[in-house]
Amino acid sequence: MRFSSFTYLVRQGLHNMWANRLMTFASMGVLTVCMILIGVAYLLGVNVDAIVEYIGDQNETVVYLQDGLTDDQIAAVDSAIRTTPGVVSVTYVSPQDVLANYSSMLDDYANMYDAFENDNPFSANYRVVVDDISQLDQISAQLKQIDGVDDVYAPLELSDAFSSIQRVVFGVSYGLVAVLAIVSIVVVNNTIRITVFARRKEIAIMKLVGATNGFIRFPFFVEGTTAGLISAILASGIVCGGYYALCDWYTNNPTTFSQMFGGQLVSLFDVWYYIVIGFFVLGFVLCGIGTATSIRKHLNV
Amino acid sequence: MIDFEHVTKIYETQNDENVALEDINLHIDDGEFVFVLGHSGAGKSTFLKLILLEEKCTEGSVIINGQDIGKLKRRKVPYMRRQMGVVFQDFRLIPTMTAYENVAFAMRVTNISTRQIRKRVPYVLGLVGLGDKMDRLPDELSGGEQQRVALARALAHSPKLIIADEPTGNIDPEMSFEMMELLSAINSVGITVVVVTHEHQLVRRFKKRVVTLSHGHIASDTAHPEVAEQFAASGGKLPKELDFSH
Repeated sequence: MRFSSFTYLVRQGLHNMWANRLMTFASMGVLTVCMILIGVAYLLGVNVDAIVEYIGDQNETVVYLQDGLTDDQIAAVDSAIRTTPGVVSVTYVSPQDVLANYSSMLDDYANMYDAFENDNPFSANYRVVVDDISQLDQISAQLKQIDGVDDVYAPLELSDAFSSIQRVVFGVSYGLVAVLAIVSIVVVNNTIRITVFARRKEIAIMKLVGATNGFIRFPFFVEGTTAGLISAILASGIVCGGYYALCDWYTNNPTTFSQMFGGQLVSLFDVWYYIVIGFFVLGFVLCGIGTATSIRKHLNV
Repeated sequence: MIDFEHVTKIYETQNDENVALEDINLHIDDGEFVFVLGHSGAGKSTFLKLILLEEKCTEGSVIINGQDIGKLKRRKVPYMRRQMGVVFQDFRLIPTMTAYENVAFAMRVTNISTRQIRKRVPYVLGLVGLGDKMDRLPDELSGGEQQRVALARALAHSPKLIIADEPTGNIDPEMSFEMMELLSAINSVGITVVVVTHEHQLVRRFKKRVVTLSHGHIASDTAHPEVAEQFAASGGKLPKELDFSH
């Protein structure tokens, strides 16, 4: 294709967009809304994922040792825990550490440390982190078998609950993305169909003077993909801006509930490129498909 | 230029078959001027559609410029169409474009450079006598002028074949005579011209070859319009010595 033909066809596409501006505006509106919903679904998924991760990290399995073990016995337990398959991190917490931790947590009761310093009621324990939370059940049973271990507290129910929440949110958000993608294709398809219909005489003339299908299709592609890209820009701006404000608000207005999940959302700076690139690819691909499927029929002159 | 070999075209509807053309044999040479004459329903439109590659024949083969168009690949069809120019009965101009733009548009969409378009469009519009009305919209032109724009558009990419579909259908007799003069002039520089029409009067004025279609058959193929007239008057029987079809 000649360069002059190329620029001509691009100009034609943009001209058509303006000529059908009401229709273009409507379809871009629907596309933008679809993309925003897709973005929201994605961000929801990412955050639930992060929360589940956070919970997984926070709720280590606590292995309580029996009281009055000698240093040798503790060393034996230590190595037994470390050699248990699936264990990735082991931290020893002495009774003093536990006391120090609690007294620092409760500022008003800082004197607790003094009160219990010489009569420590806490047991020594190990904080064990496993690499696969679904194996937690099995690993905690193994840990319980070790000599000198008093009890094992594994956050089994919590991990189960969050895994299933994660699954549901993932399913719902992917399902939503799929549905919205189809909606977008239908919307673009419909818009292009209308503009094709409005220009069917021109198309017939183009065919009869010997224009190739590519030549006839090109302006519609320009029209469709430009609408898609503009929608992508709008949706990126709205979703990123909105999410940035939400993150800000969330961090500045802590609640007990939010503190439970780490106190902050996934940072915009970690996800913005996924959103923007995703929207652009989506806008481009969906509009391309929408355009291709809508003009095929009219090309058979 | 154009060869029809045992061409049959049947339109199939749900529970009916409509035979539009049956066993047509026709040869049109390079540089010929041919009228295709027939009443409505005689198969003129189908004849035209076959040449324009809008339809494929059911049996036989249509050969244009040595190419069997039944065997032509779909993506080659546009290139084949660039070898001919068509003037439609209803002109088919784009109402939102000026005369210049209408001609330029047809050239643009066939991948011709802007420089060539700028040179060629005023030239062909000048040829049809519209050099001073290039920036008029179709609505601001008379019927005859619109038709000449359509002719200029058909001529723009220098085709070897010009097809005129009912060139007298939408304009007054005076204009149609001018149009025919233009087509003759085009023919005189070696371009093949096929005029599809139902008007006997037109055919009689120009002493050119006439192919008469009737009920999907070639009823007569003769160099003398008067003979075609006689034939029509005598109810369909052509004297043997005047029959050129075989």
